[in-house]
Amino acid sequence: MSSLRIAGGRIIDPANGVDDRVGDLWIEDGRIVAAPADPDARADRTIDARGYVVMPGGVDVHSHIAGSKVNAARIMRPEERRGEDRVMRRWRGFRSGTIGSVPSSFTTGYQYAGLGYTTAVDAAIPPLGARHAHAEFGDVPLVDKAMLVLMGNNHAILDALREDDPARVQRTVAWLLDSAKGFGVKAVNPGGVEQWKQGGGRIAGWDDRVDHFDVSPRQIVVALAKAVDALGLPHPLHLHGLNLGLPGNWTHALEGMKALDGHRVHLAHVQFHSYGGTPEDPGGIDAQVGPLADYVNTHAGITVDVGQVMFGDTTSMTADGPTGHYLANLLGRKWYNHDVEQEDGCGVSPIEYQDKNFIHGLQWAIGLEWFLRVEDPWRVAMSTDHPNGASFRSYPDVIALLMDKNLRDESLARLPEKVRTRSALGDLSREYSLAEIAIVTRAGPARILGLLHKGHLGPGADGDVTIYAPDDDRRRMFALPRWVIKGGEVVVDDGELRSAPIGSTLFTELEVDAATRSEMGRKLAAEASFHPSSFGLGLDDMAEPRAVSRPTPG
Amino acid sequence: MPNGLISRKSIHDDAASGSSTSYTCTHCGCLCDDLELVLSEGRVVEARSACETARPRLVGLSTTPAASPSPRVQGREVGREQAVTEAARILAGSRAALVMGFRRSTNETVRTGVALADRIGATIEVGDEAASWPRLAAMQRVGSVGATLGEVKNRADVVVFWCADPMTTNPRHGERYSADVEGRFVPEGRSGRRVVVVDERPTATAGGADVFLKVRPEAELNVLLVLRALVREVPVDAHRVEEATGCSLADLQGLAELLQGARYGAWFSGGLAGRGPIAEAESRHQTVTGLIRELNRKTRFVAVGLGEAGNSHGAESVLAWQSGFAPGVDFGVGFPESLPGESTAAGRLARGEFDAAILVGGPAYDALPEGSRARLATRPWIFLGDRDHEAFELATIALPSATAGIDEAGTFTRVDGVSLPVRALRPASSPTEGEWIDALMEAVGLSGRDAGAPGSEAGR
Ligand code: SF4
Ligand SMILES: [Zn+2]
Repeated sequence: MSSLRIAGGRIIDPANGVDDRVGDLWIEDGRIVAAPADPDARADRTIDARGYVVMPGGVDVHSHIAGSKVNAARIMRPEERRGEDRVMRRWRGFRSGTIGSVPSSFTTGYQYAGLGYTTAVDAAIPPLGARHAHAEFGDVPLVDKAMLVLMGNNHAILDALREDDPARVQRTVAWLLDSAKGFGVKAVNPGGVEQWKQGGGRIAGWDDRVDHFDVSPRQIVVALAKAVDALGLPHPLHLHGLNLGLPGNWTHALEGMKALDGHRVHLAHVQFHSYGGTPEDPGGIDAQVGPLADYVNTHAGITVDVGQVMFGDTTSMTADGPTGHYLANLLGRKWYNHDVEQEDGCGVSPIEYQDKNFIHGLQWAIGLEWFLRVEDPWRVAMSTDHPNGASFRSYPDVIALLMDKNLRDESLARLPEKVRTRSALGDLSREYSLAEIAIVTRAGPARILGLLHKGHLGPGADGDVTIYAPDDDRRRMFALPRWVIKGGEVVVDDGELRSAPIGSTLFTELEVDAATRSEMGRKLAAEASFHPSSFGLGLDDMAEPRAVSRPTPG
Repeated sequence: MPNGLISRKSIHDDAASGSSTSYTCTHCGCLCDDLELVLSEGRVVEARSACETARPRLVGLSTTPAASPSPRVQGREVGREQAVTEAARILAGSRAALVMGFRRSTNETVRTGVALADRIGATIEVGDEAASWPRLAAMQRVGSVGATLGEVKNRADVVVFWCADPMTTNPRHGERYSADVEGRFVPEGRSGRRVVVVDERPTATAGGADVFLKVRPEAELNVLLVLRALVREVPVDAHRVEEATGCSLADLQGLAELLQGARYGAWFSGGLAGRGPIAEAESRHQTVTGLIRELNRKTRFVAVGLGEAGNSHGAESVLAWQSGFAPGVDFGVGFPESLPGESTAAGRLARGEFDAAILVGGPAYDALPEGSRARLATRPWIFLGDRDHEAFELATIALPSATAGIDEAGTFTRVDGVSLPVRALRPASSPTEGEWIDALMEAVGLSGRDAGAPGSEAGR
């Protein structure tokens, strides 16, 4: 039994309706507990948090931190990890590492924790990449990890759809998720990646047909969303839709939401899907957040994360192979591509977002518009789609912009004139409160993920707590938490790492019957380059596995 | 710090006599995981699905543990604890240690090996570094365009073997992944694919090809450059092409057209992207990627390595995720640095710029040039590996270790990045390499090697 008391802090715990209330928090054996009845009770350790702001640990709903494409980006880009300011030095028992836009594994955990984040979800792991990604998770300390498993181009799913067998789609989803020991279901350019691999005409609309499988993106996402709901998964279908990054794609984003009417869905990095104009006239691009945010505001089943772009050098990486190819050619940069059997693959290229570039400036403004136009902060989550829009390390800068209209105006004034005319950012006067920041960075993402033990400070919640020194400089406040507590253990104290527990791997436990396993194994045997027995992972293949309970279906 | 290491079941756990059990072969880059070993009376009596390279190495292996050999310190047999203490003393006192090898080690072992190198500020190099450096240097310039082997199996209607002879080096490549196998979009198997072999002379693989093009090793790079130019539709001079490549322009044009006519093409080569001068390996890799990228403007095409025995690709991947670099890293200044050509472990070894060394696995010793072996003998060095390997007798300290795929289970990574479980066929009689390294870590302790500014803010 070890106990920690965080005494006298200004607690901001939106999930429990607590907004800046001075009080004590008690953590015992890694979980938040009710304050003991005995007023003289003592904890093993007490943190004097008087004057400090106390929030749950941060939760990242969409990030890319492990697996083969992340690792390829590291290998491909030594140029961004050379120099004293791009490394972490070995210190005590902590590991050294490199930062760049894609930090090495231990450094990823240290850097997340350094910002007060204690949970991060990798949003795109192909089923066959799960073994590698889980191994990497074992070297990412301090954050609890989970992975979303790619299924929007999966051959077994597409076969079941072609044969109009929704029950088999559902069985396949469960089997894939269980085999990969994943947490949730992701679809990326549904059908479009498969079509690109086949060399067929581009999939540009929800009713285009994927060759050979003869299914449409609409059929794929509706079937996946149904399966996710029927299985009662904690997190809705996590969708990266069609035409990412292309002018005019906002109509497809809207149509995608309508297609999924009646289902829960989470739209990933929605900033990249909110562009006006047309592919034929890319110069006509403008912000189309208004109509999309209106739709989100009036449809309760939809949540989004933003994929905020910040200026600077970073790396684009996507399971959306054709988009990766398009981007590499557009930028004229080096291109890593890796097609993965059964499902997707990835494209990786360096990218520099420049504040002199109109398109980049517009992307920046569109992201901020999303944060400011979604009325209910519970339904919009902080993300830079790390590292696509920027590194997760720039979250404090995004927070500062959300809390300060003047700061936004100053930044906007430095961008090309057209950014101001093609977006309405300058007209949006909303400023986030601390409680709203707490929602978009932890309480909201935890709820979106369906993690009942994360993102809040009520009894039973994980003892993941971040304590900030209030500061008018919001960037500094959120970049340098005073203490970070993970599972009841102080892991960061005044900017210094104190310990580095590895953290759990969160996954959804599903029952897959023997008949399904052998049915799926047979299909896999015919197509795969490996033996079916090599495919499914067990708890032994995971770092600190922790099954997440499912809410009752329905 | 806990590092989430993984324990795995070995096949001997459920292998009764006469039973058969699935097995992953590590004897070439195919990493076939579909073998079935038949066990009887404490031996492997049959290896189903194994090729003729693998079968003789598997049939006859004992499935019961051998006697446990003792560690050695300067030729003397000592207990495990003493060996660890003495090895740790060498490492803790070192200022410029080398950590090398991991050609056939599990990914789990490499995770501990990189941790040790980080802890003692060593220079580490993993896998088949001579081939990895040029391949990765090329990737760092231009990227790479690849796929898992299942994509080739299911989609490729054009398969190119570039200056390589997989029928000899990777015997089951064709039946499992490339030329012959039936796939979703190539249901006919071999007859649904065009197979091209480019090489210096007709090989076994060339014998089964639809197209064979003869190219001298010295001309390989030029052939690649011309193919790229042709796909790019850059005008070329027939006479100069013939002079530079030794091939007729018509032949090269024919090949370029065949490549462009693919629906999904797959280009295979060995680790050095050909048989030509090693100094040109990086340029060859880079030009292959340039060619493949060019082809992707018109159709789909990927390039994949044939791979080598063991787990070089897994080792490289682990080092990269932990440090950010591959295949070599210098931890000497307290954080990872990687400068090809300057601070490689092999280079330091050859120049004598080290004061201690650890070699993990016999294949690392086998790959050393004579001069480097002589250098090694002048410093204290530690060998982790098979009792029967010659290095065991030569090392200052020798720690007998289990062998992955024989008496150690774990994960290997195929040349295409697919990680697969490797199973043991008998219980271990020695600690694994990873267990030795963990013990060394513990014995070395923190040893006062902290470097510079601490904390999560470092590097902001
Ligand atoms: S092809 Fe290679 S991996 Fe497969 S059985 Fe033969 S030697 Fe082993
Ligand atoms: Zn993403």
